[in-house]
Parts: sequence; structure tokens; C-alpha cells
Amino acid sequence: MTTNRRRWRDLPLALAMLAPSLVVLVTFVLYPLGRAVWLGHQRCDPTGNRCSSNGWDQYVDVFRSREFQQAFGVTFRFALVTVPVGLALGVGLAVLADKQLRGIGFFRTVFSSTVATSVAVASLMWFFLLNPSVGVLADWIGGVAKNPGLLRDEDTALWAVAVSSVWANLGFTFIVVTAGLQSIPAELYESAYVDGASGWTRFTNVTVPMLGPTLLFVGVVLTSRAFQSYGEFDLLTGGGPNGSTTSLTYLVYGTNSVIKSNDGLQAAVAVLLFVVLLALSILQIRGVERRIHYGD
Amino acid sequence: MRVRRHTRAGRAAATLAATGCAVLAACGSGESILQAGNDPRPTAAPITTSPGQTTVPGETVPSTAPPTTEPRPIDSLPSCDLAALDAAVASGPVEILFWHGMSNELGRELERIVEQFNGSQDRVRVRLEFQGGYEQTIDKYLQSNTGNRPDLVQMPEYTVQLMVDTESNVPVQACMEDAGDTADELLPAALSAYATESVQWAMPFNVSNPVLYYNELVFRNAGLDPDAPPRTLAELADAGRTIQASGAASYGIALDSAPDGGGGWFLEQWLAKEGEFYSDNANGRTAPSTRVLFDGPSGVELFRQLQDLVLTGGGVYVGENPSGTDAFLKLADSSAPASMTIATSAALQSVLLFVEGGIIPGIGVDDLGVAPMPSPSGEPGTLIGGASLWITAGRGDERAAAAYEFVRYLVSPEIQSQWAANTGYVPVNSGAIDVDPLKSLYEADPRFRVAYDQVATTPAVATSNGPVLGPLREVRVAAAGATARVLQGADPAEALADAAALANALIADYNARR
Repeated sequence: MTTNRRRWRDLPLALAMLAPSLVVLVTFVLYPLGRAVWLGHQRCDPTGNRCSSNGWDQYVDVFRSREFQQAFGVTFRFALVTVPVGLALGVGLAVLADKQLRGIGFFRTVFSSTVATSVAVASLMWFFLLNPSVGVLADWIGGVAKNPGLLRDEDTALWAVAVSSVWANLGFTFIVVTAGLQSIPAELYESAYVDGASGWTRFTNVTVPMLGPTLLFVGVVLTSRAFQSYGEFDLLTGGGPNGSTTSLTYLVYGTNSVIKSNDGLQAAVAVLLFVVLLALSILQIRGVERRIHYGD
Repeated sequence: MRVRRHTRAGRAAATLAATGCAVLAACGSGESILQAGNDPRPTAAPITTSPGQTTVPGETVPSTAPPTTEPRPIDSLPSCDLAALDAAVASGPVEILFWHGMSNELGRELERIVEQFNGSQDRVRVRLEFQGGYEQTIDKYLQSNTGNRPDLVQMPEYTVQLMVDTESNVPVQACMEDAGDTADELLPAALSAYATESVQWAMPFNVSNPVLYYNELVFRNAGLDPDAPPRTLAELADAGRTIQASGAASYGIALDSAPDGGGGWFLEQWLAKEGEFYSDNANGRTAPSTRVLFDGPSGVELFRQLQDLVLTGGGVYVGENPSGTDAFLKLADSSAPASMTIATSAALQSVLLFVEGGIIPGIGVDDLGVAPMPSPSGEPGTLIGGASLWITAGRGDERAAAAYEFVRYLVSPEIQSQWAANTGYVPVNSGAIDVDPLKSLYEADPRFRVAYDQVATTPAVATSNGPVLGPLREVRVAAAGATARVLQGADPAEALADAAALANALIADYNARR
């Protein structure tokens, strides 16, 4: 009772202290989100000024539409490749660099350097590396990479964009996993060693379980990033060829999107993307959490 | 605890089912997103000349939609009172805001011109604001209300109908009439590109059009005359075969399918050159278009010839060309180069800089040829690309008048000469080519003049004014999809029919929302 009353007495002060961040949160997150949800059931004139309701079933129809389904498939496949590959490479590099050797700082810097590269710079770099006419990688790979080019072939474009994205996100994964590795007590490795565990056994039975929370965190972040990737698609393929790289975000923002000047439909897709991501994140966290050892 | 876990698992299963269902497309309707929420769904694009009536049931169309079957008299549009500026300057210069989308060198040249203008008189102060590009300018303009809009805005050529539909502009014609300005010196083709339903809406400012770029060295090595480049698509195929047979280069022409290049824009160009309309109601010039016509016999024949260029005419398809560089880079390919491509004349300056940098071994700046855009019949002429200047209404008569005063300065022979010479754009004022620096540039390097001559020789017929569809950018993407398919071997009639169906759905959706 007393605690309850005190709680209420503290409310004004709490609100006052929270006000700055609350204002920012409401203005820049909650209000736009609410607006987007509202806009998603409307159709607007081409200038986006006069809008009227088109029924909430617009959301259902958008979800079931050909374009959304295709973009969803593209996004899903993109995430399905970039997240595990990015995670595996990041962990691999972090384990490799987690040694007390001379000059290891150099490799750590190199491996983490992509974190300082913007999506635009990374995309432009890969754009030229993979360019069928002047790209070095295209020359090495040959075949489809030369004609019509990995980014220009319907069957390879998405995977080529995925490579660029994995590369650009590698620095982030590397840094977070390296931090995770350094918090694993050395005694665990020592006792495993004494018990006769091989290098691989120590990796699977000590490193991976102890990295659990880190891997979950990185996994969720990478998934969310993959679903929200836009710059790579915009700069490398423009959603083509034949819609094979039109991701959900590209369907919302892209200059080549079929709903480019259709505010209501764009909002509907954006909100659906939010719902999908929310569901996926809950699924990942709830599903994996129980099998994770957080230590003490 | 057990119960909670159960619900959790249930929720997780439901989410999984939802995502899984989406992935498998098991719950996909197969319908277009454009029909979302519309009930009942129209089965085909309505074909009528009165888009005001093509409402989809369940959708509200503003009752203020003007009748579109008859030409809108200019008198019912916002007027232009130039005397208001004279009255206003008594108490100091009038400041106007000008939004533009010119990046890098182009933007810096525009800044110089604005500085010159501000320094040349004390009636009008122009404040220039770069919006990040055409697309950003369009978005910001559409999302703003009158109070936040600029007094003058530069808009790309594919936004004419969209801008008209914002009902937010003083037609430049109103100012021209008030000032008693005749358009004698302005290139008629450039001017009429920004006129619909007998109203001159905007003033052309930066004009470009597609031209043929070719490697003269390859032409010489293949025994072709570099001074007589191909004019028709058939000649293009012949030249390609000769080049391939001689081994001077691996390919003849490099074709792309970019919406604003070989996929969309060029289709509009080619149909215009053949004297064909791209969409009904005279390309949307007499009343808003309700459907496209590019899937007709001329379009199919054109696409057949384009396909032949790649299949048997020594040509090569380079893909969507999203950044506009892929077709040019194919000319610089060290292992399998092409020898020609069609691209915007606005790229000439940059391409020459590239060549000068030695990107193509053995090729100097003088080995790059520029010629009119080849077409099925080889007729001269072009559609106007680039952008125009729109005056915003409702921000005060003196501001509109000040904006027009600045527009007048921008299209004067002297400024157009300077602008065209320093950017590579085509001047919109025919007087500009008799004034330095453009005069000496055209004399010293006739390659820069090719695009100008294409505009100057455009026949004054209705088909010379390009389509002004509301969703033109989206329609271009649809056409680009068809181009990509055809250049990779698909049936032209089928691909064009699919693109036309999508384009018609886009137009119907746009007209229903107007």
C-alpha cells in the first residue's frame, strides 16, 4: 500500500525525468509508426495530400499480392543466406584473431574495418569488382560473371548482392564476437584441455555455448538488418533483373517500384515488414533463449 | 508456467505458420498489389476518354476533379501579375527560393549563374537549395504544402502530368502573356514538351536527348566510314556484323534496358521518331491518357528489330544499367568490347573526361564519335529529356513575378550559352548558339552540337511531344522489363502485351486517385 502510494507520488518526477527521451520517442518513433499504420489502409491522390480509407482489408490484400509475396520471398532468401554465412565467417575470423600473437592487432583492424565502411561505399566497390566489363572479380570468375554479369543475371543477382552485404556486415559481427570471446574464462579451456578435449571439441563444447548470448544478439541484429537492407539493392541492381532483387524495402522506397508514388500501399508494405520482423525477432529470441547459457 | 509456455509455443507456431505461409506463397492471391483493398476488383483497365469517370467502386475520387475531356482554359488557372514585383521592390528586393536537383559540376555551374543573377540587379534575390537529385525534389515538393514549397522548382521531364495534377503552379504561359514575351527564340520542341491541353505549364531549362556514341577507331579498323555512322536500326545491324566479322571489336552496339535509358525512355523516343503515339489522347496532351499504345504493330516491329540487333546484328545486351555506366563500360571491356552505344547527350562531357583518363587503351578523345540516335526509319528528331522550371502559385504575386524574372534570365541566349557550354546540355534558346562560349564550343567540337541539331530538326507534329502519363516513371519500369526480356530472346508481342497490361493498370490506378 505504502509502496503503491509512493510510486504514484514519484510519477510526476519520473515523467519529468523521462520527458526528454519520451518526447523524442513519441515524435520520431511512435507518432510516425501510428501514422504509417493509419496510412496503410488508405489510398491517396498522387500528390499524397488527399487520402481516404480503402478498408483495412487493404493490408490483407497487400500481403497476399503477387508483388509483396515475391518481395517477401526475395527478402527471406536474402536473410537466409546472409545471416548464417555472416555469422559463421564472423565467428571464424574472431576465433582466428583471438590469439596472443605478435602483429595480431593488424589483422583485428583489417577484419573489423568494414564496420567503418558505409553501405554506399561497400556497394560501389562491389559494383566495380563485379562489373562484367571492367571488374577484376568478374574476370577471375568468368562465365556468367562476364556475360551478362553476376548482378545482371536473374539467377545470380540476389546472391551477388548477398556477398556484398555479408562483407559489409562482417566487421560488426567480428567486433561483437571478439568481445564475446574475451569474456570466456580461460579456466574453462584449461580444464577442457586437461580433460583431453581436442581443439574442435573445445570450440563446440566451450566456445559456442559460452558465446550463446552473443550469437543470439548478433543473429537477431543481422536478421533485422537483412530484412531492412536497402542501399545494396538500390545501388547494385535497382531491384532487377526482372524483380529478382526487389526486396520489401525496395518495394517501399525504390525508384523502380511499382508503387513508387502510392503512399497508402507503400505504408502498408512498410507496416507489414515491421510486423514480420517483430514476429521473427520474437521467434528467434523465444526459440533460442531457452537453450542459451547466460552464465552468472 | 506450463500454461505460459504453451501459449508462447502456440504464438510461436502461429508466427511460424504466418511466415512459412508467406514464404511458400501458399496464401498468395496472385493479384497485383495495385488492386489491394479494391473491392470488387476491376478485371481490365477501363478504356474511356474520361478518366474522371473511371472510378473503381469503393474508392472516393475528389469531387473537385476538373473535367478533363475539354482543354482547360488558361484563365481558370492561377494568374501572373508582374506589376506586383515592381510594387514590392520599392521596399527592397524580393527573395525567392529555388529548389533544384543538379549534383556535382552541374550544381556548381547553377550556383555560379545564380550568383551572377543576384549580382546583376537588386530587384530579386534567388536562394538556391539543392534537394539531392530529381527524385528527392519530387518527393519533397509533393509532400510539402504551399507554405513550405519553393517559389521555383526544377522538375524532370517525366513529371509533367504529376505536376499538373498538383494544381499548385502558375503556368509559365500566364507570365509570358503578362510580360508580352514571345517565345520566338525558344526551341519549339523544347517548349511544347511542357505544354498539355493548350497550356504552357513550365519553362524548359536543361535539355538532353539520346545520341549514338561510337568508337571511330573500331570503325576504321573494320573498314567502315567513321564519318557515316549508322542512321537506321538495319544499318546498325549491318555495321555490327561487319565489325564482328572483321574482328575489330567483339560486338557492335551495346544495348541496355534502363527505365531512363534503353528500356523505357528510348522506346518513347523511337515511337516518336516513327510518328507513333505512345499513349492515347495524343500522348496525354489533349486529355490525360487512359492507356498505352506501345504494344501496337509499330512497337512490336521495333522490338523485333532491337532483338535482331542482339541476336544477329552483332549487338550485346548489358542489363538494367542501373547507374548508367554499364553500357559505356562495355566499350572499355578489355576482353570483349562493344563499339557503339546509345545514351543521353548529357553524358558526353563525362565520357570525354573518362576517355581522356585513358580507360580504353589506345583510344583518344578524338576517337569517340557522336551521331544522331538511330531509329527504325532513320528520321531526324527527338523527344525532349532533362528538366523544366515550375513557378509555385499561392505564395504571393510578387514572388511568382520574381520567379519569372529569374526564369527569363535563365533562358536568355547568354545564360543558355554559358550553361550549355559548361554542362553539355542543349540550350533551349536558339540564340545561344550564336553567342560565346557555346558558339566556339560548337565550332571547335561539333560532337556537342549533335543533340542540339536533333532538337532543332524535330518536326512540329503531335507525335513529337512525348507521353505525359501520371505514372510515367512506373510505366517506364514496365517497358524496361519488356525490353530486358526481348533482348534476352523473348517474344516481342508477348513481352509488350504484358508490359502494356501493367502500364494500363498503373494508369487506371493513377486516374482513379487523381
